[in-house]
Amino acid sequence: MRINRFRAAGLAAAAGALALTAACGSGTPGQPADTGGDDAPEGATTVEFWQLSFQDVENEWYEAAVDAFNESQDEIHVNLTQVPGDAWEQRMTAAQAAGNAPDMYTIAYNGVVSAATTGQITSLSPYIGDDVWSDVQEDVLASISVEGEHYAFPMLVEPSAVLWYRTDLFEEAGIDGPPTTWEELQDYAAQLTTGDVYGFGAAQSAGDMGWSTWGLQWNVAGHLPISDDWSEAQVGDEYAPLLQAWQDMYKAGSMPQQALAGYADANPLGEGHLAMNMGGSWFASVLINDFPEMLDNIGAAPMPSFHGDPEAPTATLGGWTWVVDAKSEVPEEAAAFIEATLGGGDDEQLLEYFAGTQFSKYSPRASVNEALIEAAASSENPWAATIAEQIVPFSKPEASYPWDISMAFATALEQAMQGTDVSTALADAEAEINRLIEANQLAGTAPQP
Amino acid sequence: MTQTVQAEPTTLGTAAARRRGRPSRKQPRARTGMNARSNTMAYLMLAPVVILLTIFVVWPVVYAVYLSFYNWSFYTDPIPVGWRNYMNVLGDRTFIESVGRGLLFAVMVVPVQLVIAFLFASLVRTVSGRVATLLKVSIYIPTIVSGVIASIIFVLIYNYQGGILNAFVGLFGVEKQAWLGNVSTALPALAVPAIWLGLGICSLIMLAGMVDIPATYYEAADLDGANWFQKTFFVTIPLMKNIFLFLLITGFTAAVQQFELPLVMTDGGPLERTLLPNLYIFQHFRNDTYVGYSIAAAILLMVVLGSISAVIFRVLNSEKAVDG
Repeated sequence: MRINRFRAAGLAAAAGALALTAACGSGTPGQPADTGGDDAPEGATTVEFWQLSFQDVENEWYEAAVDAFNESQDEIHVNLTQVPGDAWEQRMTAAQAAGNAPDMYTIAYNGVVSAATTGQITSLSPYIGDDVWSDVQEDVLASISVEGEHYAFPMLVEPSAVLWYRTDLFEEAGIDGPPTTWEELQDYAAQLTTGDVYGFGAAQSAGDMGWSTWGLQWNVAGHLPISDDWSEAQVGDEYAPLLQAWQDMYKAGSMPQQALAGYADANPLGEGHLAMNMGGSWFASVLINDFPEMLDNIGAAPMPSFHGDPEAPTATLGGWTWVVDAKSEVPEEAAAFIEATLGGGDDEQLLEYFAGTQFSKYSPRASVNEALIEAAASSENPWAATIAEQIVPFSKPEASYPWDISMAFATALEQAMQGTDVSTALADAEAEINRLIEANQLAGTAPQP
Repeated sequence: MTQTVQAEPTTLGTAAARRRGRPSRKQPRARTGMNARSNTMAYLMLAPVVILLTIFVVWPVVYAVYLSFYNWSFYTDPIPVGWRNYMNVLGDRTFIESVGRGLLFAVMVVPVQLVIAFLFASLVRTVSGRVATLLKVSIYIPTIVSGVIASIIFVLIYNYQGGILNAFVGLFGVEKQAWLGNVSTALPALAVPAIWLGLGICSLIMLAGMVDIPATYYEAADLDGANWFQKTFFVTIPLMKNIFLFLLITGFTAAVQQFELPLVMTDGGPLERTLLPNLYIFQHFRNDTYVGYSIAAAILLMVVLGSISAVIFRVLNSEKAVDG
């Protein structure tokens, strides 16, 4: 009897332990925390959509687009969840681990090919017709395609590098117009550096340099630092002018000893701490919203070309796409929502997105971009035409090779900036990229569009 | 004497058996049954902890070791790669340097933390109750501050342009410094908030250890004419050896594994000079297609930390307190 009581107590303890552990494990990682839209109508197929949270105006557009789609029909109901940037990786990883990944989500261009080749996302080609794809810019389409299959639908493109400059500080220093060569840029930067104002600001840490200088890497060398088939490093002296420029300006003090803000931050320019600032096209939106009184004092131009060719790329086209998860049970419905929202179903609504973000972003679809440039002409964004006509057409897609390769080159750039001999830094990068190719067996694995 | 002691249980056992009305020769079986019941109860009491540990510690570790031999993602079948993940991690100078940097960081943080905490605890012990309470609360506040918040506060302090520290050194005519951007100052700049954050709990544990030392030892030392230094070095410190050992091990492993400060303050830069091992692993976990590499790195870090902890235990033998 006593033993039975012991057993009963033991069972109760075990049950308690199991209940406790079950409770611990029931947190359902990735459970939508912020669901948009109304309840799904009876019989409708639900599509879970996770969106990386951006500016308020962008988030509002996403909510409006989902609501408009949900109201336009009864068969598909989209549930929108806006996830903050700092929580995205953790939430998505946890959701994938728990088998709760959303049906569709936003993803940056440079992640598409990797996600496609590792089976994380599904091809949209079977669900979206060729007539829709044919409107997307060729380069952009290639960056989201693997072996002829399109794995993402591009929503927007943002040139990663624009030369923003303070016209008032230029006038004070007696300098006319933006620099058109790197010699001029370095000379102007030195002249414009006074007190708390630095002549030139750009990415200064490997993490920021890794992606923001892809365009300049194309510009100075004519290629990226790895061969097209990812079989060997391509880091020769052709990159030296880029590293030398960073080293010279850092040493001269015309670049701050520590970046005044992250690469994406336009505040140092608006506040007048930088006279020239290499930054993305998204600066326009920040400057219009946060520094409206400074708009007449800020200009935008393409970054100078190292070899003088104004049509050589100086930027890459970053931005966001929408993809469907490979494990989604409703890929057709998700693709229908994508096509209706981004693919031409309602371009007026899509244009509202670009208008809402003050035309600081551009459409990868030719027809939308034409309308966008026309609308931008009468907008409060004085730089839209310059960026659309002088930078976007010559920009390259983002690199699709593993991020470590980008970091290896960026580390060389940072090394040079901090004073390491340029040739030594480049040799280090070459050795490291070759090591990464060997360690990760990358040779021959470059996906073909 | 020995015989008496041996005889007692038999006598007691016989009496007990008589009370239960059972013959004495049955007593051994009864004891065995009682022991068995006691053991069963003990196992049952241990079961919840063992089950939880198995689920949340043992199984994840075993599974992690298993996964480290595969290229594994949530979407594709695992591909066995043998020891390649380990070879890749060991062949990556960034990982080796990050472990070395973690050890250097621990050397910067732990001794300073122990010395300051010891001095602070000594101070608290000498002052009156109300002041002691005030001091204890003051020193403990950083412990309850989130590491992320502390990181942001120190970023503002170290800011190159407009930072409080540069404003301060500017008063003495010193040029502003890129505390977090300079390769020589970045890691020490991270060590300061690490010391600050850990000081509270370290001081209170020290204080508890000091209070536990019998006052008679100090009275005897006073009678011998010992001064403060002699009492500290010949009474206090030897009797707090276990406290130091505990703080050394926990402080050391915590410092090597520091993650939030480099993540928020420098993201591992400049030139990886603040890339501590956990941040290195996290960056790979965040960016790699397959997780096998980061798991192999984590297991190797665990081996390194375990080995160093074992060495510390070996060098500084844990002993029972003299007055125990």
